[in-house]
Amino acid sequence: MGLNVEKIREDFPVMKREIHGKPIIYFDNACMTMRPVQVIEKINEYYNEYPACGERSSHKLGKRVDEGVDQARESLKKFIGARHTKEVIFTKNTTEGINLVANTIDLNKGDVVLGTDREHNSNLLPWQKLASLAGTKHEIVDPNPDDTFSIENFEKKMSRDVKLVSIIHTSNVDGTTIPIKEVIKIAHDHKALVLVDAAQSIPHHDVNVRKLDADFLAFSGHKMLGPSGTGVLYGKEHLLKKMPPFMVGGGTVEDTTHTNATFDEPPDKFEAGLQNYAGIIGLGEAARYLMRIGKDNIQKHEIALNRRVTDGVGDLVDIIGPNEPEKRSGIFSFNYKKVDSHEISMMLDEMENICTRAGAHCVHSWFNAHNINGSCRASFYFYNTPEECDKFVDTLKKVIDVVK
Amino acid sequence: MICIIALVVFGILGIFSAKYRTVAKEAFDCVFKRITLRKCTTGLDKRMKSQITGKFMRKHPGLGKVLYKHFEAISWIFTIVLILSLGYSAYSIGNLFIYGNCNGPIPDAFCVFDPFVSGGHVESCSMEGITGEITGVLEVHDHDPAIGFPDAKVTIIEAGCFLCPYTKEAEPVVKQLISHYGDQIHFVYKDFPLSSTHPGAQEAAEASHCAHEQGKYWEYHDLLFVDQNGADFDHLLNLAQQLDLDIEQFSECLESRKYKSKVDGDFTEAFSIGVYGTPTFFINDQIIVGPKTFNEFRQIIDSELFWSV
Repeated sequence: MGLNVEKIREDFPVMKREIHGKPIIYFDNACMTMRPVQVIEKINEYYNEYPACGERSSHKLGKRVDEGVDQARESLKKFIGARHTKEVIFTKNTTEGINLVANTIDLNKGDVVLGTDREHNSNLLPWQKLASLAGTKHEIVDPNPDDTFSIENFEKKMSRDVKLVSIIHTSNVDGTTIPIKEVIKIAHDHKALVLVDAAQSIPHHDVNVRKLDADFLAFSGHKMLGPSGTGVLYGKEHLLKKMPPFMVGGGTVEDTTHTNATFDEPPDKFEAGLQNYAGIIGLGEAARYLMRIGKDNIQKHEIALNRRVTDGVGDLVDIIGPNEPEKRSGIFSFNYKKVDSHEISMMLDEMENICTRAGAHCVHSWFNAHNINGSCRASFYFYNTPEECDKFVDTLKKVIDVVK
Repeated sequence: MICIIALVVFGILGIFSAKYRTVAKEAFDCVFKRITLRKCTTGLDKRMKSQITGKFMRKHPGLGKVLYKHFEAISWIFTIVLILSLGYSAYSIGNLFIYGNCNGPIPDAFCVFDPFVSGGHVESCSMEGITGEITGVLEVHDHDPAIGFPDAKVTIIEAGCFLCPYTKEAEPVVKQLISHYGDQIHFVYKDFPLSSTHPGAQEAAEASHCAHEQGKYWEYHDLLFVDQNGADFDHLLNLAQQLDLDIEQFSECLESRKYKSKVDGDFTEAFSIGVYGTPTFFINDQIIVGPKTFNEFRQIIDSELFWSV
């Protein structure tokens, strides 16, 4: 393994904590990652040194805020490979980014929005709502018989009516990643735009919006070492310019009269009201931290951990998704017979402070379609260790011995 | 079943801390659904099961396994125990309200709802080899020494022995009660001299009545408790001198044993209803044996004052 994990872990204060005399084994990274001290210090720096308004105040503290936000936007631009910082809109999470597009993109009655069968509720409900309000349609691409994404079915689904493909890049249910570059090319060939839900991919894989030619891409800060309540929506500049603002208010306009308003250029026109400056500045630091670590290193490390767990306990449980850990990124989602996943998750937590997630992971539609009540999910990140995986395997075996 | 226990436990904790209220609400929802023959959908039962099992698994895997397998049965047992405990607690609280103690008419055990009282720890001067149940109440006669309002709602009759250390121990509380309640109570002292264990007790009781006829009963009563080492004629006479009583009259009264029949009458009446030791107090029809705290008396007296029409 290429990463010096022990050294990396020194950056994460929470890793030093113990509960009931035992360390915390944090395997819920698909939900939220821990934060390194560098990010925490950046947030504190704002509150300690320049806790002022950005954009509108010309005093020294205000200028310092603007510098911090600009620096963060620049870092995020590099992080996703955007052409210009105008294409980086700060949101509070992936959900807000997708809702922004759903509420501002030019879709009309009969237009189709296409997604997979395992979209997160945040990339499902906005389109269901739009369908009920505007008469658009939301359609699903059927998977292959082995339940993996089918590029053939996707291509078959592409018709003149499909105006937008809003699609999950890496599934938070099983960790599988779709061939997004191919998807985007097919969509563009059919004159459709593509919105990539990159919440689960961008913290773990190298994602470059220019190489992919993505039209929109949304992700959250809290899944990539950043503060809670931060996120980014990337959009191609020419598309963003055509879109009306989502929320309106302070910070979105150049000028107003009692009857009219002249809106700013992107990204300002999409960032209404006073922003989460501390969070944005912290998110910029998180992006820089991840770029220093390197996405390839992260991906290799996670797959190695996933292989260790799969080899250790894969035969005893029903893995959701492909058996090969290489295809599941850093996610090990499983069930044991008909035992409630919450029971397993809570016992892991009580016994060895192993933090996993149980339930439908906000993808109820997929679980309902498969008549499964949810799953227990262990999700790894680059600061997790092989020893933690061994402890997980050992403890899960004990739990299985009890519930079998 | 675990939801019923959770409802009670977290319901009580929720009174003091908001963090338990969500769980209490979930437990209530679960119990309500079960009562209305619907399935509990909160998942609280499973969470409780997993958490409790997990805690045991940490140190005793075998025990955790047994707990997991038989969780529902164990929950039933605890629920039944809980319901019985609640029922008994309600009964005790009722007793506390009606009788002033947890244990009903005869306080013979510790009361958790009022831990500051001495409870059933009975200490008294007893007649040798005689214990039993007091089956009646003493009556007040015209010639009995008494303080307070004769028609008060609460009458306290003490059967005491002047040479009994426990009767002496009760004296400060008796004085406190008389001072605190004034005319709300009628306090009466009756003699129950335990001569077999305290020689001279009979004579001391008779002497107190000799002082009574000179109008200084309570002063003499108090002096008798000062020195309980015997009660020979000279000692009793000496106490009378301290109170400036007519010594000639007092000596004649004592020597003639003028009040022997009165003291014997008190003793016989008390003995006939089962009084076996001193001090024994009758607060209307409630009975306390042995010296108790002011608080303990107060609970009974307040209860009697409340309930008396």
